[in-house]
Amino acid sequence: MSEAEAIERAKDGDGGCFEALYSLHKRRVYSLCLRMTGNTAEAEDLTQEAFLQLYRKIATFRGESAFSTWLHRLAVNVVLMHLRKKGLPEVSLQETLEPTEEDGPKKDIGSQDQVLAGSIDRVNLERAIESLPPGYRIIFVLHDIEGYEHNEIAEMMGCSIGNSKSQLHKARMKLRDLLKVTRVERAASKR
Amino acid sequence: METGQGTAAAHVYSSGRGKQMNCAEFQRDLPLIIDAGGTEQQEEHLRNCEVCRGLVSDLRYIAEQAKLLIPMLEPSPRVWEGIEEKLKREGLVKHVQARRS
Repeated sequence: MSEAEAIERAKDGDGGCFEALYSLHKRRVYSLCLRMTGNTAEAEDLTQEAFLQLYRKIATFRGESAFSTWLHRLAVNVVLMHLRKKGLPEVSLQETLEPTEEDGPKKDIGSQDQVLAGSIDRVNLERAIESLPPGYRIIFVLHDIEGYEHNEIAEMMGCSIGNSKSQLHKARMKLRDLLKVTRVERAASKR
Repeated sequence: METGQGTAAAHVYSSGRGKQMNCAEFQRDLPLIIDAGGTEQQEEHLRNCEVCRGLVSDLRYIAEQAKLLIPMLEPSPRVWEGIEEKLKREGLVKHVQARRS
């Protein structure tokens, strides 16, 4: 059965077809929830909530965008709603693109033999992302991992495009610091 | 170890057209440079400044690596069990068991 057929049958309340849709999309939705929250239990609850909302709303899917895109946007909204309820800082509306002392490269160890290229593995990058402050992490995940544009993020987060760009830049700078520390620690442990 | 400020003061290059850009000026526009590329003057600074070149290289590398993170994480079976239970409780779903049998 094709995905399109499964969607049509799920719209009629067919639980078996809905389960097939769940199996197809569960990894992407769960990965998004986990990366945005950094917490397994929360990510599982949010994945559950996203699919429950999907079941309730699937009849409104008209095929104007790809189903995966539509579902993904629904899941992002579920996570953002949850984070707002928790009162976690997302993006400060006072943020601007003007760099502060704090934002600059603090201890620049950027000589040619110390650039990160070739030294990041998936596990270390995932760990570093997990340890980002929530506001940075959310925008980094949405933009650099999930591929949303700044205007889409600004709309979803209720902030300006400038805020989104600023937070993304700070997130990447912070990740750079974290990954360099990880590399130094790894090198030290080998000695 | 060099600080960002120290670096900025230390690296000032001429573009050859009488214009100069130091690291602080270059790094002010870093988000734009990373995502959209730099102006001629910024590119000139980048060619001559090892510190800024390393910084740009790192930030672009992080963005590239992030795009390669595939959604391979699997939720536990509890997630589907919870969905199924709630849908049944609300009377919204039919045929879930039928498909399995």
